[in-house]
Amino acid sequence: MDLTDKEYVERCRDGHPEDYRMLVHRYQGPLFSYLTGRLRDRSEAEEAAQESFVRAFLSLNTLQKPESFYSWLLGIAGRVAKEQFRFLKRRQQDREVAETMMANAAADHEEYPLDEAIAVLPETYRQVILLRFYEELSCQEVAQRLEMPLGTVTKTLSRAYALLRQELQARESADQTISQTEHP
Amino acid sequence: MNCAECRDNLVACIEGLLDREESLQCEAHLKACASCRAEYAAIAHLQQRLIAHGHAAADVSIVEPVMRRVLQQQTKPERNTIMSVLLKHRWGFGLGTAAGAAAIMLIVLLALPKTQATAAEIMSKGAQAVANLTSIHLHGQLRTLPADNFSYINADCPFYTIELWKQFGPELKWRVEKPGRVAVMDGQSTVLYIKTANTGTKVPHPSSSAFDTDWLQRIANVSNTISSELNNAQAKGWKMDTTEETAANGRVKSIVTIHARSGIPENDYVKNVFFENADTRRVYRFDAQSRLLEAVQVYLVRPSGEVLIFDLSQIDYNQPIKPSIWQLELSEDVNWKQEPQKLPDNEKYTSMTAEQAARTFFEACARKDWNEAGKFMSPVSQGLKNYLGGLEIVSLGESFTSKAYGGQFVPYEIKLHQEFTVRVSNLNAAKRCVVTGIYDSKLQLQQDLKWTNEPAILPNNDAYVRLLPAEAVQAYFDAQSKLDWVEMRKFTSESDVKETKGQVEMAGKQGLDVHKLMPVFEVGEATWSAEQSAWFVKCRASQTKKWNLALRKDNPAGRWQFDGGI
Repeated sequence: MDLTDKEYVERCRDGHPEDYRMLVHRYQGPLFSYLTGRLRDRSEAEEAAQESFVRAFLSLNTLQKPESFYSWLLGIAGRVAKEQFRFLKRRQQDREVAETMMANAAADHEEYPLDEAIAVLPETYRQVILLRFYEELSCQEVAQRLEMPLGTVTKTLSRAYALLRQELQARESADQTISQTEHP
Repeated sequence: MNCAECRDNLVACIEGLLDREESLQCEAHLKACASCRAEYAAIAHLQQRLIAHGHAAADVSIVEPVMRRVLQQQTKPERNTIMSVLLKHRWGFGLGTAAGAAAIMLIVLLALPKTQATAAEIMSKGAQAVANLTSIHLHGQLRTLPADNFSYINADCPFYTIELWKQFGPELKWRVEKPGRVAVMDGQSTVLYIKTANTGTKVPHPSSSAFDTDWLQRIANVSNTISSELNNAQAKGWKMDTTEETAANGRVKSIVTIHARSGIPENDYVKNVFFENADTRRVYRFDAQSRLLEAVQVYLVRPSGEVLIFDLSQIDYNQPIKPSIWQLELSEDVNWKQEPQKLPDNEKYTSMTAEQAARTFFEACARKDWNEAGKFMSPVSQGLKNYLGGLEIVSLGESFTSKAYGGQFVPYEIKLHQEFTVRVSNLNAAKRCVVTGIYDSKLQLQQDLKWTNEPAILPNNDAYVRLLPAEAVQAYFDAQSKLDWVEMRKFTSESDVKETKGQVEMAGKQGLDVHKLMPVFEVGEATWSAEQSAWFVKCRASQTKKWNLALRKDNPAGRWQFDGGI
């Protein structure tokens, strides 16, 4: 039976670093997707994802709310992505690559609402979303994996969609307010 | 179908999970209701976004590379402080692989009692209850070192989990695992895999125990273990108590406590007197009805009090064991430790005494002749090359043997030198040079010091501002050598001080003389790096190490092979 993020974090802190594997497995897909959005380059995104997981592991003791592991990881990944840019900019020999990447890459201030909305979902809902879309399981397979009836899976998905839409709307209206303030 | 029913079914409808009739009803409602149609479109749109998002990441697989890095970090608590970087390998045996040196510290856990009749009866019936096992699974924890095989016990170490699975018939198989390393005998061969170093050792035949799992294997033969404990206790006249407890589920448990007394000092394990002869209290918990042994705890009895050192908390009898337990999923790039093959000049090595072998090995390390050193261990890891390269031999003593270990120990004293670079910056509000990172001799970052807050402006700040980068590094080392944490904090982050202090305390608890362990630091030239806006100061640490090299020659080539003790 899978443990919750909080339980895995606590086990890692209690001297079971092997259990970190479960968290990496759980979040490698969404984290990679988020970083691909930011860096627009798969191999850079993969490198940044690895680095983010390793840094997160090393700072695990500073994580205040273990249940918010993924949201915290996303913050670390954002910083890693920024550093990766700066690093590429500095490396003369990579000038061309960097220029291409800079041209392609999303602007630093760009938002990643879907990733961030997934990160703040309560874990029950996030878990179903991750299995369904990032592990590409069918609803029946999700039901088997989580040992729950199929009807519960569709209901959880339905609720997760509602929460995601609410969160996305909230973010969009906040963005609009900001842009109206900046450009009256 | 009304709106509420339709919305309840929207996800199932989009996922194609409705039966034909429900599906038709849903579609009919959607045609008629603009509001539900809009809801359907919104969900379908979101789902498409999620599918696209997820699909882009579907084939990514970074679990193994991340775990390798994470576990590597884990094996070097050294990464945290300069001291631990320098004192690498200091704390124990088991550098790696081989069946081991640590076997000596071995516990023969269960060796003894004397009695009230009831205790003897409980033990004796407990032995009968498990006389014909087909399989067993033990789960517990042990105070030990992470970088050792499976048998070292030290009351001052933290707990690590340890598990054993054993199938007695039709074919003997077993697996022993603790964090970072696992040994598996699948009926054909015996493999030890050290996850943290990604190294493996394979013995191409079945074995009943290997890689320092012997004591645990013996415990797994529970019937023999209990009988032998009872016989020993009776023979040696040790006190036995029995009590009863009622568990939360109402079942009655019989507790047998055995007070093993030897009067032998506890901790000189190389001389063979650690566990089996040490004063211990062993607590056996049996289910009164089924007579099955359910748990064992072993406490080391010290003058200062008792310490729980081994806690076997769960025993499963005759449960089917999944076939995957006997399989090891190994990555392709495992470094396999090779069995030594006969050399053209093999005799030169087989005729050596253990002392001569130790000297030849150390001398090869001193001149960085890794080909020659490789004749005593294969492969010589890069970490070990960095650690031992350029050493000086101070002295070698006479070899000795130890009961539980099949090889020999050679006492040695060597002087080790290690080069590294310290990154220093004064771009802070206090304008003092402070340490911000440690690099190895190849300028690979070993330790990135995180400053949570800017360095504070000290009352006598100017005196520190005037220090040149190399002088600041020297002062940092001086403070560290004197264990002056307040002074050290002026040059480094709080976490660095905290970690160093923790390691010094840990070393003290293990009975090591911290002042003697402390390296002698030499500080060289400082170079400015415009790219990093920091100074890089070259340094060298020298330290003396006194220990026992473990060597064994029970291999096909008959040559002495390094087995631990660096």
